[in-house]
Amino acid sequence: MISLTSYAFVAMMLFSIGAIGVIARRNIFVIYMSIEMMLNGVNLFLVTFARYHFNMDPQIITVMVIAIAAAEAAIFLSVIILLYRSRKSLDTDIFNTLKQGEKS
Amino acid sequence: MNTSLLVWIILAPLLGAILNAGFYFYHIKKERVSDLTFSIIGTITPLISFLITLSLFLRMKNEGITFKQDLFTWLDIDKLHIGMSLLGDNLSIFMSMFVSFVGWLIHIYAIGYMRGDNGFGKFFAYFNLFLASMLILVLADNPIILFIGWEGVGVCSYLLIKFYYGKAENVIAANKAFIVNRVGDFGFILGVVTLFFALGEVDLSFSSMEANIANASSELLVLSGILLFIGAMGKSAQIPLYVWLPDAMAGPTPISALIHAATMVTAGVYMVARFHFLYSGIEEIGLLIAYIGAFSALLAAIIATKQTDIKKILAYSTMSQLGYMFIAVGLGFYSTGLFHVFTHAFFKAMLFMAAGGVILAVHHRQNIFDIAKHRAHTPIIKFTFLIGVIAISGVPFFSGFFSKDAILAAAFQEGEYLIWAIALFTAFLTAFYMFRLYFIVFVAPTKHDVKYEYTSKTITIPLLLLAIGAVAAGYLNLPAVLGGEHLVDTWLAQLKSTSIHMSHLTEWILMILSVAVAGSGIFVAYKKYANFDIYHPEEETGLIGRRFYVDELYDYLFVQSTKKVSTFIDKIIDDKIIDGFIMSSSDSFVNIGKKVSLTQNANVRFYATFMLVGMTCIFIYLYIKLGL
Amino acid sequence: MMTDIIFIALAFLAISGAVAMIVYANPMYSALGVLISMLSVAGMFALLNATFLFLVQIIVYAGAIMTLILFILMFLNIKEEDLPKEPKKFKLIALGAVIMIPLNILILKAVSKLPAKDFSISSSDFGDIKPIGMQLYNNWLIAFELISILLLVALIGSVVLAKKRNSKVKNAGGES
Repeated sequence: MISLTSYAFVAMMLFSIGAIGVIARRNIFVIYMSIEMMLNGVNLFLVTFARYHFNMDPQIITVMVIAIAAAEAAIFLSVIILLYRSRKSLDTDIFNTLKQGEKS
Repeated sequence: MNTSLLVWIILAPLLGAILNAGFYFYHIKKERVSDLTFSIIGTITPLISFLITLSLFLRMKNEGITFKQDLFTWLDIDKLHIGMSLLGDNLSIFMSMFVSFVGWLIHIYAIGYMRGDNGFGKFFAYFNLFLASMLILVLADNPIILFIGWEGVGVCSYLLIKFYYGKAENVIAANKAFIVNRVGDFGFILGVVTLFFALGEVDLSFSSMEANIANASSELLVLSGILLFIGAMGKSAQIPLYVWLPDAMAGPTPISALIHAATMVTAGVYMVARFHFLYSGIEEIGLLIAYIGAFSALLAAIIATKQTDIKKILAYSTMSQLGYMFIAVGLGFYSTGLFHVFTHAFFKAMLFMAAGGVILAVHHRQNIFDIAKHRAHTPIIKFTFLIGVIAISGVPFFSGFFSKDAILAAAFQEGEYLIWAIALFTAFLTAFYMFRLYFIVFVAPTKHDVKYEYTSKTITIPLLLLAIGAVAAGYLNLPAVLGGEHLVDTWLAQLKSTSIHMSHLTEWILMILSVAVAGSGIFVAYKKYANFDIYHPEEETGLIGRRFYVDELYDYLFVQSTKKVSTFIDKIIDDKIIDGFIMSSSDSFVNIGKKVSLTQNANVRFYATFMLVGMTCIFIYLYIKLGL
Repeated sequence: MMTDIIFIALAFLAISGAVAMIVYANPMYSALGVLISMLSVAGMFALLNATFLFLVQIIVYAGAIMTLILFILMFLNIKEEDLPKEPKKFKLIALGAVIMIPLNILILKAVSKLPAKDFSISSSDFGDIKPIGMQLYNNWLIAFELISILLLVALIGSVVLAKKRNSKVKNAGGES
């Protein structure tokens, strides 16, 4: 009864909710976690299709993705610490010195 | 016959101008060049012109030929053919003889007058350039080349009037001269164009125009006659375009002598004489020219009786004498008018040069009462000035008498008694104001201790040479009634001028009348001014003293109205409408750009949102395309 | 039968964890939501015969990455009032949902066109640790080595980035 479509549905939901989180939230931690959520969704897709076609390759790719996500986590969090040190705020909207038009 | 010498008459002063200009640049940029270099270059070149002219004249007299020289073809479009060609016929050689001779003498005079001036080299460069332009004007074979010279003398006159450009009023006077001249030039060009159309588009040289004049419609000829005369009005300072001539006295005296007395201002008379074939056919226009000449002469003489600046009095007397010349050429007496040009060149140049000598001797004062108060003893200048004043007043045995008397006889013969009466009264006024000038400057008693002042030979020798000319030139055209041979009239026979033929009795009566008028003028001047109290000087007040307020009238009518129109066009049409339109179209772009730049608000989530929106659009498109 | 129920439960947990992440204001609650979601996804990996990935997901993602996030979160000592104020949160969520719907429809439609297969747990050693090792060290060797270099770079990078600067640079870095 569980078919490809159900797994695809869950993966797409995770991905979409991750994308919505990037658009809708200002807190930088939440944005980061939304990005991780998107990666999760994609991983689920990959593994689903590995099982569907009985092919190992997508699973290997998933291993790579997880490794890259780990590296990204390290850098991302260092940058969050730098940004917090310089502006003492977690709001992504306050970093707008590259703004054209009227300066705030 | 063809000759290659004609062009050197013009090229010699032109090369002199270029050389002097080159040396002057060197002088101001690198090292000082001595005044002697400039003087030698500046005076040798008019002498070369004069000698070439003299040799051509002698050949023409002996062999009875005329000279032509075709340099190159300038324009050759369809029916319009303009060649750069020079014509040395009797009229041109006659004009260039006295132009180059008087020009040469005044160049020598200028060496002494302009000594010590910083722009010495520049002066001689401009002066030579002027002489070259005048010679182009006189030697031209078609009206276009004449116009080149016409414009050239106008430019050089402008450059030389504003020679002392440190004072703003000199530059303003130069602008006035150039602009008023330009009004005349506009008429001249229109006249040439009308003539071109009237003649059915033939080759524009004077000889072919003369041959074809019968084909032209007379209305177009009348129109071109009027328009050409407008040019002459501007150049020769007749009513209404005369207002520049008194102001032009702001320039140094040598140029007043050469340009505004002897040569440039006579270009208008020369032009009418050159177009004799045109004006002989349209006698109404000739009569108009004569009337304008008469009234200009009268007006100038009236104004001159009240002026107190020595050069301005001489300027108004030039305008007055030019009026006489136009009376003559207007009525068809071309050679008589040109004879007066010839004699006038001598005595007017001499008068200006003597006035310059006086100004130098009293250390640059120009008001005649101031000069009298600081009078210096300058015997040669006084003597030559007296000769000039006598010549211009029309006293017998001096040149002015013969030429002026011929003009009066011409007017009387044609039955134009009004013109004759005006000319006679003007002769009275001429004698009066010239002797007024002489008496105040040299004779009226002064309390100043009159000491001898040395004047250099470069001033006195040209003065004496011209004095000889002022006396002797008249004898070249002695009328038959006095036993002479009309040499000038015979020489200029090509112009087919009307000749003076009346009974000898009438001629004697007219001569005695003009002598009486001149004598009474001198007498009245003597009574009033020989013992004038120069310490209560006359001021320039009253209607006459303020020159009939013509300058103010022109300013109100033309200058102010043009200024208003210009300001209107500048401030409203140019600034608001045209600039506003262009600026608004560019401003609209800037505003659109400003609105668009609001999308760059450095908000990363905003950018991410729009990336997703873009991708969504692609997905919708894919959805539709794939037909799922 | 059992697998279906387990799948539905895991799916529900995953999606609700995700929703919790984007709804709560306090980042701690969001982090816990993500944690739940990841553990559920790990479970779904197991249902799909990817046993190695199930382990890796728990160890790396839930164990390392989320721990790191929670650690940094608590390290920065954020108070309630320092959090950014997000007045338009729900409106933007709705907008995001609208934006993402077409993609969902497209992919689900595409996927549903594929032939159905049996998704019961297979008994072969597909997805086991040995086959993955064989693949990784034979076919995917270069990628493997490059990943290790990437991890080294990330390690050095994060140390460099978070180092305390000396006073001159710190003053400049202190401004925006």
